[in-house]
Amino acid sequence: MNIPNASTAPAAGEYAGDEVSAIVLDPGYTTVRAGFAGEDVPKSVCPSFYGQTASGPYLFGENAIHAPVGGLDIKNYWGSDGIVEDWDTAAKLWEYAITSRLTGARPSDPARNGLNEGNDANGNGEAMDVDMDALEQNEKPLEDNPLLVTEPGWNSAKAREKYIEIAMEDWGTPAFFLQKTGVLAAFAAGKSSGIIIDVGASHTSVTPVLDGMVLRKGVQKSPLAGNFVSDQIRTSFKQSSPEIPLTPHYMIKSKTPVDAGTPAQAVYKTFPDPPTPSFRANEEERVLTEFKESVVEVWPGPGRFTTPTNEELAKSMPGRPFEMPDGWNQVFGMERFRVAEGLFDASAALPSDTFPTPPKPDHTIPRLVQAAVQQVDADQRPLLLSNIVVTGGSTLLYKFNERLNYEINAIYPSTRNKLIAPGSVVERKYAAWIGGSILASLGSFHQLWISRKEYEEHGAGIVEKRCR
Amino acid sequence: MASGRDVRDMLGLPAAGGDAPKAAGAAGTAAQAQQKRPKPAGGSRKIQGVAREVAALYGERPPPVAVYEEKKAYRAKRQSTGPAKKWIQQPFTNPARADGLVLKHWRRKPTTAPPVQESEDAPMEEGDNTETFLESCADYAKYDIKVDMPGFTDEEYDKYLRSDDWSREETDYLFEVVRDYSYRWAVIWDRYGFEPQRQLAPENANGDDQALAAMPFAPSKKRTLEDLKARFYDISAKLMKQRIPEVNMDADQYSTYEMLTKFDPVMERNRKMLATALINRTMDEVKEEEFLLTELQRINMAANRLDAEREELRARLDAPPQNQQVSAGLQAFTSSQALHALFQQLFQQDRSKKRATGGGSVPGRLSLSANDMVHTPGSAQQQLSAANRRQSLAQNQQPAAQTPVRSLSPHQEHRFNVSTHERLTSGVTFGSDRLLKMRQAKSNVQTGKISQMLAALGVADVVPIPTSKVGEVFEQLVAKVSRLLDVRKVREKEEGECKVLLAMKERRNGSGGGEERQAKSEVPDSQETPDIDVDGENEEDEDDVNKNYGDDAEGEADDNDNDNDADNPEDDAEGEEDEGGFNVEDPDDDGDVDAEGEDESSKQQSRATSQGVTTAQGHKRSASVFSQGSAQSSKRARQ
Repeated sequence: MNIPNASTAPAAGEYAGDEVSAIVLDPGYTTVRAGFAGEDVPKSVCPSFYGQTASGPYLFGENAIHAPVGGLDIKNYWGSDGIVEDWDTAAKLWEYAITSRLTGARPSDPARNGLNEGNDANGNGEAMDVDMDALEQNEKPLEDNPLLVTEPGWNSAKAREKYIEIAMEDWGTPAFFLQKTGVLAAFAAGKSSGIIIDVGASHTSVTPVLDGMVLRKGVQKSPLAGNFVSDQIRTSFKQSSPEIPLTPHYMIKSKTPVDAGTPAQAVYKTFPDPPTPSFRANEEERVLTEFKESVVEVWPGPGRFTTPTNEELAKSMPGRPFEMPDGWNQVFGMERFRVAEGLFDASAALPSDTFPTPPKPDHTIPRLVQAAVQQVDADQRPLLLSNIVVTGGSTLLYKFNERLNYEINAIYPSTRNKLIAPGSVVERKYAAWIGGSILASLGSFHQLWISRKEYEEHGAGIVEKRCR
Repeated sequence: MASGRDVRDMLGLPAAGGDAPKAAGAAGTAAQAQQKRPKPAGGSRKIQGVAREVAALYGERPPPVAVYEEKKAYRAKRQSTGPAKKWIQQPFTNPARADGLVLKHWRRKPTTAPPVQESEDAPMEEGDNTETFLESCADYAKYDIKVDMPGFTDEEYDKYLRSDDWSREETDYLFEVVRDYSYRWAVIWDRYGFEPQRQLAPENANGDDQALAAMPFAPSKKRTLEDLKARFYDISAKLMKQRIPEVNMDADQYSTYEMLTKFDPVMERNRKMLATALINRTMDEVKEEEFLLTELQRINMAANRLDAEREELRARLDAPPQNQQVSAGLQAFTSSQALHALFQQLFQQDRSKKRATGGGSVPGRLSLSANDMVHTPGSAQQQLSAANRRQSLAQNQQPAAQTPVRSLSPHQEHRFNVSTHERLTSGVTFGSDRLLKMRQAKSNVQTGKISQMLAALGVADVVPIPTSKVGEVFEQLVAKVSRLLDVRKVREKEEGECKVLLAMKERRNGSGGGEERQAKSEVPDSQETPDIDVDGENEEDEDDVNKNYGDDAEGEADDNDNDNDADNPEDDAEGEEDEGGFNVEDPDDDGDVDAEGEDESSKQQSRATSQGVTTAQGHKRSASVFSQGSAQSSKRARQ
């Protein structure tokens, strides 16, 4: 009787898995996810924000960017259109995400680590030089690991080529593949066809996927996503009277409890070399994230939040308390519905001058879904509508799915619409990575990798031909 | 000493030599004695508090059945045989790849080398092994699937596949895309973007416009999915026909070919438009449809129920069941073989019959074929019955043919009072008894009414000379009388209802308190007032009826006269005339009541049952939404 245990290999046809220790990299606006294919969570989750001092090097990782150091600018390499803008930094940051937790730093080669000084003296420097050329290759961080990278559905051809160039040239990966986040999120949900609604930090995207292929005409994106909600919260704080103060954690030395609504009584830290505004903004964002997680609620329907009856109803609902880092606290009533309503109803968004683009009606999530479905062949629409995969961190807003369900059923009352939203937070936030992990660990995926040889033969253009 | 033995006992080791001498040391005999003793001692140990018979069961014998629960089997203990197995990152190639990409996956290290060598210089050995051995892992090569695509040569293209709408380049591009996306048409359409300039651009980058203008086809036409499909299927079909001529295609191929040729882009487009419209329905439309569907379902259910009820009713009315045997027999004669057998049988019978009746007169050729061949093809039924009754018929026919039957004209029949009967009841009855029986109805009241009516018509209690003719006419008369009584009863009821309804209507219309009160006071009265009215009507009615029956009575009298004369054939006509008069008069009488008039049309049915049917219909109709004009009946049903 052969009972599988830790020491026996899994049966051959058990799950068609055949791991080749591939690495999956899923860069997003707030975090970069990286990990080995075949695992169920990314081992390395690293913020996409990086610190840069005026003179010094780039600082990557949680520890670096949250330390209140003077003159530290916090930046992000993503562009406003959801495509990587700062490629140099992006490559560095991704490399950091991979090497810091997954592959580890490569041991420096013996010729230069100072341990073999004596050899040179022996006079066979010629041979060492040859070796060094060979070893030069070895220094690249991903020499042993095939790499699967995710990209947004609207990525440009140029950006795609950039990905493979970085992977092949800079990192020396033996094999590479590029896949769209939408497809991978569908895979993570166990679907090969469906509509993927991905509400991230910087962008909301709706991607129709058929048999594992993105229907390009249907891909929709809008800037109404997590950052938009944050901006709405800021605006709401400013508009309320008296203005709600937003003080990040790093400024507080100590605080004393105060009554709701009364000004905070806290002792603030003083910095000889005060941190930059960008640092403060990033730290404020963390407070807002907490606020979004614990207070903000999406009006679950039926109907929009801004109808008088619904507003009355919302008023009668119990509020949710929130305490700022400095001790200021308040119970939030219907404001908490208001700040997220803009995702579904552009006219309900609070007017804000800080958000780069004012919300358009076409940018709301229901309209995006509608536009995406419109671009798909009529025969496939019911199939897609019965597999609506919801993913992205911002979909974790309380009652988001209820509202989405209501809106979609209002648009398409005659089809069987089904939302697939994994309950666990990790699966919701890292769906694209998990899908990549599944894909790259399949035995049948071996033939899809773009090998180094193919890259050298056809150039970066091969990515357009192979990864579609 | 003892503890050591216990331990051995527990471990199931033989309590033998090895230990004992060490432990016991000195006295060999004592040790031996001790070794021998424990076993029987253990076996015959006295168990306290148990009956001797039960104790005897505690033997050394094994239990008769080995009890082994599979469910309780624990996981096999990990076998630790030797040191841990080594795993290596085995490089391998996938035969589905042309470029020979080498990937590594974890595999058990093949244990070829003897363990001694391994322990000596493991790292070197491993290094060598991985370098040399390159596995070819074909487990997943089967997933490398290429689609089948029709291909064509330039010649074929020029000859058969030219199209005004499609350039050669675009056709090639279409085929390429179809291959790339493996016939996933939705994806193909999504990605399809043929740009004629793409090929030409390098050649004349500056004179783009002119080049485009010179091109024989429109640049980057917007193709619909149906266009793409139509073109591809068209080419596929043509190529298929070229490769395999239509006549040589097998069923599968031909069905494919047919499918390809029958593709109609226009129809397909319309279908998609309909599908789109279906998806884009509004909530209201969807709800309406749902409502209609549930209604339809309900109606269907009601119809089914009604059918079942009707079926049951028919069964109760004792419709003669289909003669199973006959139909089964018919089935048996459908095949030519069976018919042939039947023919043989008949032939035999015929021959024997002919022989019995002195077949000498008839030559060899028998009448059978002439007789039966006529019957055989068309009237199987007839033939069958003939077959069934052949024997008796054959015998009966002959004497029937021999005895002369004089056929009488109807007039003569009448004159000699000859009557033919379907079947005769045995025994003798008096004609007056029959007449008397006809006067009896089921209920005494009805009987009384009938006799009253007959008295009014002037028919005597005892009809003198009750000939069969008189009996017939009397029977008709009684039938009419009872029918009339039924009609009257129904009418009374209807009118009563009308009164009540009218009263209610008045009460509803009259909003004033006084009137209401009056209406209220009327309502209890309504029990009475309609009665009075109905009575009046009835009287009138009866007058009419009396008039009618006056005629009838005259007819009757005529009849009697005729009977007495016993030669007048007109009496039948007279009677019918009466009947006609009755029919015509009746609607006139009841014309003022609508429902009655409606019912009157179905006069043939008995009154009571027809009433029942109408109300039943009313129920059914009220269930259905679509049926109209049932307002009245449904109102009645609600009442």
